[in-house]
This record gives sequence, structure tokens and C-alpha cells, in this order.
Amino acid sequence: MLLDLLQNTIDGAAAGASYALLAVGFTLIFGVLRRVNLSYGPAVMIGCYAATWLHLNFQSGLIVLALAAVAGTVLAGAYVERLCFAPHRSGSAIAAMVASFALWMQFEELATLVLPRHVYAFPLLHEGAPVEFLGLSLRPDALAVLGVAAILCALLQGLLHRTRFGLAVRATIENPHAASLAGIDPGRIFVLIFALASAIGGIAGFLIVATHGQVTPMLGMWATLKGLLAMMLGGLGSLRGAIVGALVLGQIEAHSQWFLGPQWRDLVAYLLLFALLAANPSWMTRWTISRSAS
Amino acid sequence: MAPLLEVRDLVTAYGKIEALRGVSLAVQEGSITCLLGPNGAGKTTLMFSIAGILRPRRGSIRLGARDITGRAPHVIVAAGIALVPENRLVFANMSVLENLRAGAYQRRGGAEIESDIERLMLRFPRLRERAAQNAGTLSGGEQQMLAVARALMSRPRLLLMDEPSLGLAPLVVEEIFRIIAELHRDGTTILLVEQNAHLALQVAQHFYLIEQGKVSFSGSPGALAEDEVIRRAYLGSAAR
Ligand SMILES: Nc1ncnc2c1ncn2[C@@H]1O[C@H](COP(=O)(O)OP(=O)(O)OP(=O)(O)O)[C@@H](O)[C@H]1O
Ligand SMILES: [Mg+2]
Repeated sequence: MLLDLLQNTIDGAAAGASYALLAVGFTLIFGVLRRVNLSYGPAVMIGCYAATWLHLNFQSGLIVLALAAVAGTVLAGAYVERLCFAPHRSGSAIAAMVASFALWMQFEELATLVLPRHVYAFPLLHEGAPVEFLGLSLRPDALAVLGVAAILCALLQGLLHRTRFGLAVRATIENPHAASLAGIDPGRIFVLIFALASAIGGIAGFLIVATHGQVTPMLGMWATLKGLLAMMLGGLGSLRGAIVGALVLGQIEAHSQWFLGPQWRDLVAYLLLFALLAANPSWMTRWTISRSAS
Repeated sequence: MAPLLEVRDLVTAYGKIEALRGVSLAVQEGSITCLLGPNGAGKTTLMFSIAGILRPRRGSIRLGARDITGRAPHVIVAAGIALVPENRLVFANMSVLENLRAGAYQRRGGAEIESDIERLMLRFPRLRERAAQNAGTLSGGEQQMLAVARALMSRPRLLLMDEPSLGLAPLVVEEIFRIIAELHRDGTTILLVEQNAHLALQVAQHFYLIEQGKVSFSGSPGALAEDEVIRRAYLGSAAR
């Protein structure tokens, strides 16, 4: 029993780590643009498809595949930024969201056009059996995901809090007008953040498909859902909140799957979000409110 | 002498409503020029138009020999204009020090920036005490000082100040005006929006009265004193 709990916690932490990267990407975009980018997950999927295509045609190594996933996601992200977010920068948030939904559909079409099968195998980070340790089974690839996510989050924290670029990003997040009066070009920050968020998404996507060993067009929706859910659990708009939300989501899924059964896995997370909102209706807007009041 | 700032026939609109309907004014290098006018006259609109936050529909804005009409705010900061906005707009979740560094975003050379911060801390001792604190935890007066200091961090040729005394206690207002006088003594050129005409005319060398989007009267403070009628009309509506 205790061992099960521990095992679930470890499994949940690994899943949570990959959600954290997705949620961080969502939050960066939401933070600077105040826009939800529904195409974030589908862009990640495009990156993973690019890597899969390379794998199928050239049997490239994992490093090349990872780079391809990042490059593909950044390219797809740039396309989304130009089409959905650049034109609506000061205009309607809804228009941008609807436009990003339209691109989601485009991306799924594109993926199935180039690689029409429903599932493709993706090379695993680590072949072979998990390591047994004190009765626990530890998957080296899951631990690698955990480590990479921790390093990326720490790097991001350093970037935002210790560099001139980070200063500009945080100023833009707080108030784009005030930032521009300080000599910062918010438009440039928007574009760079979009690229950064996409690159993080690409790494997350690569880690996810290389631990699951397969790619499907559903990856796009899956990544958007997990990222959004983790971001919302964390209270929308703070990076730390998003990371905590993602780790909590990983734990909830792992434990409810074990104790309640696989059909409960997703349901419990939605129930928790629902309960959070019922208990504290301003949960998701507290951050945006505090911004407009300052 | 050619003015440092020259605004000509400026028209700025919100949708169909023209908030500025042909404003012309000039600011001489080294002077304090004051912009007076009742609520809704268009003073903030003019400041935002000069700073590039709002794009004018017609007219021109020149800084020295350079036409900066319709340029983006960060370009205008680089050209040498810094705005201390109405309501201050400090970065509440960033420390005082970070706010100052953000003000120097366009500048290179860390050592010079740090020595400027050091100088400003001497001028604003309260900011030194609160250097590591988040700007959101500062009092209104301290936030105003921070907003001024942040603007100065870009080393502007022209400092725009939009109602720096707004909502502050009389003693704090006095301190702000003492700082304005000090900046003037050091050679800073200032365009100051102020509803408290009495205070403003004590520091300014030149003033413009704006009403309903137009300059209705201008001159040097002495001339205003002579013109009792306008003075009363204005002070009557602006008395707070
Ligand atoms: N964002 C806006 N949208 C539409 N109209 C606006 C907007 N901002 C200002 N106005 C209008 O433009 C006119 C000028 O406003 P402005 O803020 O420039 O006045 P002001 O002189 O700064 O007033 P105050 O002393 O109250 O700060 C007003 O009639 C105002 O209602
Ligand atoms: Mg105003």
C-alpha cells in the first residue's frame, strides 16, 4: 500500500514534469499577451510530426529529432503568432482565440496529410526494463524528463529574474504601456516570448513522445488540454502557479487512476478545478485583476 | 533660439471624438513649461501623443531637428523624451531597483547605469531605503518619486510630467515641487501638466492653458497674474 502510494507519486511526478513545461509555455504566452493560444498544443504536435518524419525517412538520432521537434514547434508557433496574435494585439482577445482554434484545425489537417496513419512509432529515450529499486520500479526516461523539466524551469527563472531581457519581459507582463514608456518595445517582447514558449513546448513534446514511444494527431488536443488545465489549476498567469498546478495535476491523475480506476483519471482533475472555482470564484482572475488595479 | 520641443497643429482623436483639435506649443531648452487646464481638456492626450502612446491624426511633433510624429514610444524614449505618466504606472511587482533598471532599458553600459542609480538614490533617499522592496508596497508619494526617477534613468533631453501631485498629501506635493525645481536647476527641460495652477506658476517660466482640446491662452506667469479674468475663470474651475 505504502509502496503503491510511493510508486504513484513517482509516476505522477514524471507526468507532472512534462505538463509543467506545457503549462509554462501557455503561461508565458498568456502572461505577456493576455490571450489564450489554443493552437499551442497543435504547434507542439507539428514539431513532433516533423521529428517523426525525419525518423521515418532518415532514421535520425534522438538529438536531431529533439532539435527538429523544437524547430518545428517554433516555426508553427511563429505562424500562429503572425496569423492570430499580431493582428489582434490591441484588439479582441476572442478574435485571437477563435483564430488560434482555426489554426488548430489546419495543423491537424496538415499532420494527417503528410503522415496519414493514425499512429506512428517514435524511438524511445530509453529501451529496456525499468530499474528495480527497493521494490519501486524506476523508469530512467521518466527521471530524465523530471531532470530536464527541473533544469528548464530553473533556467527560465534565471532568465526572467537575472537578465535584461527578463526585466523587459516582466515589465511587459505588468503593463505594456508602462514598459514602452521605459523604452521597451513590447511588440518585440511578444514575438520573442512566443518563440521561447514554442521552444519549451517543442522540448516538452519531444520528451512526451519519446517516453510514450508513439505519435498521433491527437497529441495537439492532448497537449492543449493538459497545459490549459495545469495553468488554470495554478491560478492562471503566474509561472510558479503553473508549475505547481502541473505537478498537482500529475499527482491527481496517477493516484486516481490507481485507486479509482482509469476512467477517473481525467475526471478527478476536472472536479478539482470545478471545486476550486466554486470555493473561490476569483481563482483564475485574481492575477489579471491585480494587474488592472495597479 | 529654436525650441527643444515644437508641437504644431496637433489633432488626436479617440474614434470619432477629437480630444486635441489643433494644439501648437513650444518648449525652450532648459525651461519648465506648464500645461494648465480643467479636467478633460486634453492634457493627458497631448502627453500621450508626444510620448507615442497615441498616434496623432494630424500635425507634427519635433524634438530639436528631428520629426518624431507618430513614432513608437520606445523610439521616442531613445530620441530623448521620457514621460512620467498620470497615475505613475510603476511596475508594482518589481523591486524599486528593478524599476530603475527598466527605466534605463535603452542604455548600454552597466557601470554608468549603476552610478546613475546611485545619484538618484541620493536625490530620493526614500528610494534607497526601499530599494529591494516591491514598488507596489510604496506609498503614493514614494511611487511618484520612483516614477520620476525611472523616467530620469533614460537620461532624457525632455521630461514630461503628467499631474505628479495628483492625489498626494500637501507635504508630499511640496517635496515633489522641490524636486522639480532641483531638476530645473540642474538643467533638465520639463513639460509639466498640473491642475494646481498656483504651484505650477511658481516654478514655470512659460505656461499654456488648454481648454476643450485647444490652447486658449499662453504666456509667462506674470502675464497671467495681470489677466484677472482668465485667472479667475481658470482657478475657479480647478479649485480642489
Ligand atoms: N481612452 C479614451 N477613449 C475615449 N475618450 C477619451 C479617452 N481618454 C480620454 N478621452 C476623452 O478625451 C478628452 C481629453 O481627455 P484627457 O484625459 O486628455 O484630459 P485631461 O486634460 O488629461 O484631464 P484630467 O485633468 O482629468 O486628467 C476627454 O473628453 C476624455 O473624455
Ligand atoms: Mg489627465
